Amino acid sequence: MREISIVGAGMTRFAKMPERDVIDLGREACIKAIKSSGVPRKDIQIAYCGTARTGQLLNRECGVGQTILLDIGISGIPVTSVGNFCASGSSALREAYLAIASGMYDVALAIGVEKLSVRRGKGLPLTSDGVTLLTALGFSPPAYFAEIATRHMYEFGTTEKQMALVTVKNRGHSRYNPNCQYQTSVTVEEVLASRPIVDPLRMLNCCPTTDGAGAILLCAKDLAWKYTDKPVDIIASSLHFGLYEKNKDMTTFNSDRASGKEAYEMAGLGPEDIDVAEVHDCFSIAEILHYEDLGFCPRGEGGPFVEQGKADIGGEVAINPSGGLLSRGHPLGGTGLAQTTEIFWQLRGEADKRQVPGARVGMTHTMGGFQDSIELADVASSCIHIYRQGW
Amino acid sequence: MNQATFDKERIDPVLADMFIPPSSHDNEIHLVASKCNKCGVYFFPKRHICPNCFEEGTLEDKYLSNEASIYTYCVVRAAPVGFDSPYILGYVDLPEGIRIFTMIETDNMDDLKIGARVRLIAGKIRRDENGEDVMGYKFSVMKER
Repeated sequence: MREISIVGAGMTRFAKMPERDVIDLGREACIKAIKSSGVPRKDIQIAYCGTARTGQLLNRECGVGQTILLDIGISGIPVTSVGNFCASGSSALREAYLAIASGMYDVALAIGVEKLSVRRGKGLPLTSDGVTLLTALGFSPPAYFAEIATRHMYEFGTTEKQMALVTVKNRGHSRYNPNCQYQTSVTVEEVLASRPIVDPLRMLNCCPTTDGAGAILLCAKDLAWKYTDKPVDIIASSLHFGLYEKNKDMTTFNSDRASGKEAYEMAGLGPEDIDVAEVHDCFSIAEILHYEDLGFCPRGEGGPFVEQGKADIGGEVAINPSGGLLSRGHPLGGTGLAQTTEIFWQLRGEADKRQVPGARVGMTHTMGGFQDSIELADVASSCIHIYRQGW
Repeated sequence: MNQATFDKERIDPVLADMFIPPSSHDNEIHLVASKCNKCGVYFFPKRHICPNCFEEGTLEDKYLSNEASIYTYCVVRAAPVGFDSPYILGYVDLPEGIRIFTMIETDNMDDLKIGARVRLIAGKIRRDENGEDVMGYKFSVMKER
């Protein structure tokens, strides 16, 4: 399989932007990615566009990627829509990676975009796709993660303060990221006093509804030097549909463990080799599980891990230096490639005041989506990429 | 509520195949599962084919036990449209080796604990667009003796 490098990345600011449509957002991210790459548009041979909710919210099931590309003068190449829940953008990147790895194409563009602010139900949780039975019984994603939190607290003594510290850490990072929806720090007291959503989760334990887009330009590594002196190599790509089993322990995600294991094996690295990771902190308890499932700490020790500063910039591994979903917001399809853009900047030393010193190896992790099952619980997609400085 | 007078017209059609409501000749509600007569595993709600054995005709309908214990729970404060907050959701473990998602109710929040015993009841889940109650199955925390 061929080695792959990222040569350009770009993203919009993430925010509620009622005046902008999904094409406008995608266009901005693509222009930034292409201009940052040095890749002439004629060199782009294939593109993938990840979205999760354009059908339901915008009556736009197909053709989002094509419309964005046509707008910037790219047509006549293969373009495919990729829908994979919260990992839609990351899955678009993986498809682009596979297209080049196969040897069939040399240069590919991955786009991830979503406009969520048009949805109804302000202040209420976003419902998941296709979960009719669960929804009839009162399910919502924060309820699911609250159930996980209750069990994690019961089994391991994890505290509401430790969950709050995830938010405090990530919002602290957000002060230096102009692309985040929220760019202010918060205190533990503010998190614990915020509006209850689903006990034990409060408003500031939950990521906000957001609009935004990211785009990544990648190519075969042997061609990267044509475009940049500082390519960022993708050294692992893994994706798993949930591994559903009866009576699954809800304090761990099987899909994340499987994707993490495969990604580490593919990269020939372990968790101790990761300098910086953008992980899917849709809820603060989720980030605590990710520390454990991705091997940054042993089972049950995710709470102390954040409390002891091990997930800080300057800690054992810098988790979510961008501010994460808790600060940037979570426009489903847009999230994955904003994560990759952050890691691209981090490994090139271009992350300004939130730069992780000496970061050479990075990871992105995107997960989510639910199956309409009363008795089987996991997430429907978990996508992990590992990156390394390519120069 | 007198379970014998349970109004079948008000059952959520989405949930209708999942349980047999209380009736004048059987005052109990029953969850209906599939049991595979080859591998012995229960599935809820009912399935078309056993995902383990992948053979036609191995599944038969079975009632599940009406008592369970709480595996985990949460209290919903920001409720979806039609749901009255706060309400409790959770997963409960049944003796058949099934853990299921359900609404839970209790008279006393202090009784709401992991491991607490719960009993299957028929009850109100939400309101429809006309404000009428929509009924389904849920579990009620049992008083400790």
